[in-house]
Amino acid sequence: MYVKQCLAVAAGGALGTLLRYGINLLLLPTGMPVGTVMENTAGSFLLGLLTGWLLTRSVPSWVKAGAGAGFCGGFTTMSTLASDTILLSAESAAAPLLYVTVSLFGGLCAAAAGMLTGWKLSSREVTS
Amino acid sequence: MIVLLTALAGAAGASLRWGLGLFFSRWWQQSSIPLPMLIVNLLGSFGLGLFLSSWAGTIPFDAYDDPVFSAVGVGFFGAFTTFSTFSVEAVTLLQEKKVMPFLWYTALSLIGSLGAFILGYLM
Repeated sequence: MYVKQCLAVAAGGALGTLLRYGINLLLLPTGMPVGTVMENTAGSFLLGLLTGWLLTRSVPSWVKAGAGAGFCGGFTTMSTLASDTILLSAESAAAPLLYVTVSLFGGLCAAAAGMLTGWKLSSREVTS
Repeated sequence: MIVLLTALAGAAGASLRWGLGLFFSRWWQQSSIPLPMLIVNLLGSFGLGLFLSSWAGTIPFDAYDDPVFSAVGVGFFGAFTTFSTFSVEAVTLLQEKKVMPFLWYTALSLIGSLGAFILGYLM
């Protein structure tokens, strides 16, 4: 069972990483590390949505692992957030502070919005 | 080629995170904050700092055409650490009205990852 889950996490992780790499590459011309903020916010919403929606459903554990720990986990990142923050500290004192604040509140709000949407979706399916 | 390497490294980073999460989860039961992903994020941020200073000597911004930076920095350490699990776990703590654990978990994750990155970078 763990083998199947681990393979799903690897596949989801590869997909999430590819998407993150592609978005970062596309946003390079902006000259600002905005890609990671967008990915972390979108990934937090998606994982929140999955968490809320899958709560009441019987989905195979490898699907949950592949989509959650694999895709969302591989799509979002904490280490690049850290390196981007230090990178920005060379620009000005306000830039890294703004970067961390937007990342944190964006991520938390997105996760909460995702979870609420997921619960709504699953309760609608249960009652109907 | 770079894309394939980065994806493979991302697969390795994500699986290692998942495996370590399972391994560390036995310690979670005794703590008030979700420790597994906190430990993984601290380790990964430290690792990225160490890698960037020893490999590039700087924090590259646009080195996406470099296979080593892309595979190790973006792929492996990028996928090994996670932000989505952090935010969902933090919101869950808040939703369960565990305000102090929420504050601790958030502060330790963010300030801790920054600190771990700097520590790795300076080593």
